Amino acid sequence: MQKIIESALLKAKREGASYADVRVIEREEEDISVKNGAVEGIKSTSTKGFGVRVIKDGGWGFSSSFVFTEDEAERVAGESVEIAMASSKTKIHDATIANIEVFQDKVPQPVKINPFSVTLSKKIETLLEADKLMSKQGIVVRRGSMHFSKEWKTFASSEGAYIDQERVVAGAGISVISSDGTDIQTRSYPSSFGGDYARKGYELVDEINLPENADRISSEALALLKAKPCPIGKMDIILEGSQLALQIHESVGHPTELDRVLGEEASFAGTSFLTPEKLNNFQFGSKDVNIVADATVPYALGGFAYDDEGVKAHKIYLVKEGQFIGYLNSRETSKMLNFMPMGAMRADGWNRIPIIRMTSINLEPGNKTLEELIGSVEHGILMATNKSWSIDQKRLNFQFGTEIGWEIVNGKLQDMVKNPSYSGIAYEFWRSLDGVGNESYYHVWGLPNCGKGEPRQVMQVSHGASYGRFRNVQVGVEK
Amino acid sequence: MMTKEIINDILNKVVNSTKADQVEAVILGGDSYLTGFANNYIHRNVGESNYALSVRVAVGKKIGSASVSEFSPDAIKAVVEHAEQIVKFQKENRNFESFAKPEEETREIPETGGKKVSPNLRAEYAKRIIDEAKKFGLIASGMFQTDTTQIAVKNSLGVSRFFEFATATLKSVVMGNNSSGYSVQTAFDVKDINVDKIIEESIGVADRGRNPESIEPGKYEVILTPYALAEFIGHMSYLSLNERAVEDGTSFVAESFGKKVLGDNINLYDDGFSPKTIPLPFDFEGVPKKRVVFFEKGVAKDVVYDTLYAYKNGRASTGHSLPQPSSFSPYPMNIVMEGENSSKDEMINHVERGLYVQRFWYTNPMDPKHLLITGMTRDGLFLIENGKIVKPVKNMRFTESIITALNNCLELSKEYKTMYEMSSMTVPYARIKDFTFTSGTEF
Repeated sequence: MQKIIESALLKAKREGASYADVRVIEREEEDISVKNGAVEGIKSTSTKGFGVRVIKDGGWGFSSSFVFTEDEAERVAGESVEIAMASSKTKIHDATIANIEVFQDKVPQPVKINPFSVTLSKKIETLLEADKLMSKQGIVVRRGSMHFSKEWKTFASSEGAYIDQERVVAGAGISVISSDGTDIQTRSYPSSFGGDYARKGYELVDEINLPENADRISSEALALLKAKPCPIGKMDIILEGSQLALQIHESVGHPTELDRVLGEEASFAGTSFLTPEKLNNFQFGSKDVNIVADATVPYALGGFAYDDEGVKAHKIYLVKEGQFIGYLNSRETSKMLNFMPMGAMRADGWNRIPIIRMTSINLEPGNKTLEELIGSVEHGILMATNKSWSIDQKRLNFQFGTEIGWEIVNGKLQDMVKNPSYSGIAYEFWRSLDGVGNESYYHVWGLPNCGKGEPRQVMQVSHGASYGRFRNVQVGVEK
Repeated sequence: MMTKEIINDILNKVVNSTKADQVEAVILGGDSYLTGFANNYIHRNVGESNYALSVRVAVGKKIGSASVSEFSPDAIKAVVEHAEQIVKFQKENRNFESFAKPEEETREIPETGGKKVSPNLRAEYAKRIIDEAKKFGLIASGMFQTDTTQIAVKNSLGVSRFFEFATATLKSVVMGNNSSGYSVQTAFDVKDINVDKIIEESIGVADRGRNPESIEPGKYEVILTPYALAEFIGHMSYLSLNERAVEDGTSFVAESFGKKVLGDNINLYDDGFSPKTIPLPFDFEGVPKKRVVFFEKGVAKDVVYDTLYAYKNGRASTGHSLPQPSSFSPYPMNIVMEGENSSKDEMINHVERGLYVQRFWYTNPMDPKHLLITGMTRDGLFLIENGKIVKPVKNMRFTESIITALNNCLELSKEYKTMYEMSSMTVPYARIKDFTFTSGTEF
């Protein structure tokens, strides 16, 4: 591998590149899914390749390959330079990158239980046990899944960086769909769309304990069929952690990506309302809103030791006591606006160029118990587990639906309600936050499927959240 | 690029290397290049060569799957062994009968043209859009992607298929201070990409969209462009128009075959051979694509099948398997919605008061069974009064059932557009009454 890297960097230099880096990635994945008592699929995937990124004549170029020969490394580096020269035909300014400390490092990721040492039989049995416990009259679909991956990534640059990083990820979840012939309802555990993920080994599956929660979600899905519709109108809401995590993702994480802000993602993902003049000059939320981008959180799915530009992992505040004070950035965008590179550039594989991605974007916990949060709500809804999401391309107007809700009347939790949803404008919503759950409810949720970029990339990110109480929010859709 | 001979050689090695009851090998990959532009310059310019070999082996009703992206003899041997190893731990799938059985291809494989495109040519197309946007004081973003894709399937039952095709996709998103416009086209051959039309549409919408005003949300008659209508048809296809959703009880057509569930003018089908789509002659199990009619004059007719769902129901696969194993298979990949005789301009003329919607954005289902969808408008929203577009308006959120909208469809155009992103969708412009917008935003 050393020779592949050297060949690529040398070729890029010979062709006149002012900067070059190489990422070599080797990754194994295992996915297991069960449905309605049968194993739907078991798939083992392995991939290995390298990508070369260069700046030549002030333009960017990138190419990649799965063929590990020195000749191919030279061909790919040469093609990157050719592509960069084509890029420079339209340049307005030369692409440049901020200076950083250059590291040589090797970062293994120890786990308690290597997920690839656990037998398939045990994994299947665990999922089927949960499946059996979810089986009830009226439950039409039962699903369970596990995902495991391990990756070795080597990053080397023409500046002298050489970093090896290991990454082990586990994820698991279960879900059911109930039906009465007319209506369908969904419940999931520990979160929807595949469950929870973390940089852990098989111990994550043990911690989640799918079978212990199987009967509960199944019963809740059936109860939802008979539950009353969620009331519609302006009222208070309390969001449970996994739903609050998605709210953070869509209305804080994405709009603080500096490439979006600067228009670089306008073609696909969109832009952002958090334009540069608002930095340090905009009340994003209430004083209870303290949100960090922290790639150093142990086990967090959005964490790492170094990003894909060789920048060491950082913790920075995006929002502090409600004030908007930080962006997720790259070496190039940080240089444009004279910021410190904070390490948010990642690619989802060897065949993709790094772009600015969320790390672990976390709402710091407050000091309230759930009882205290509920206690001061005259009329409202406690909502849990995301069911649907939508937000405009500047990340202002949003609408989310959750799987389940419970009405709150005069400070007491009342009946279950079905099809809860809420909507608003991002900063107005965060300004209405007046209570955050304490550390005991805080959890860092792993989201494995954040889509962005052209060509499309899917990134693993995470969000720490407790409960959050928001006042006077539009619940449901006015007819 | 790998040659057809190399690909066949790899597939033969896999199929001949196992003693399992059945084996299936699929190679999907090729070369892909993308020139991305933003802020009136090329900011992202990338290329890749990438393939995956996926192997499924079956012993009785137990199936194991493994895939790999390298093709050394050792790697090929290892991936087969890995799939065999998985089978040993696997449980029986009572629904499994067989991998795809061979069947004769009776329809002509479409011509797919397309040659390798240089980075300079991609940059020239980007520059033409950028230069034109600058003349209007606008900022151009977009991308020009040129792919050559190869799909090959071989199994131990005698199925053997290979298809190579090229695609070129040029997209333009043009923005002003408070407006934006959008246009995209995919073709087999880069020479068929009409950059002038893309410039005219995206810059035209952004230019006419300057200084939009807010209007009240509520029910409006709408003209949906094919870009907007395709969002609806896309959601319907994975939520409803496949046997998986029917058996799960989550499809709205599950109890309605033979019944009229949509408007008289709704005719929707999937056809991998249709020249109106980006053709794909067989699926990822090697089964030739059949023409599947979903709705004829609004009456629910059929849905798509892969072998798993077909054989257990005692019928033939329609050729709509995704790469297996998949929780989303079967899936329609070549949808065509038939139009009527109107033109876009005639349809606008027929609106007394309504909205012209260039595009929907971030649409997601709130109630999957009843196809209740929410999303935002993007890149062009205009008020129509007395048959004429009178002014741009700020974007709004809609919350609407696709079923309701397709029952309220007053008119369809004879013009259509084909959208392509892994799968293809060809749809016309639609005029729909009583379409529900539920809130607004700041731009």
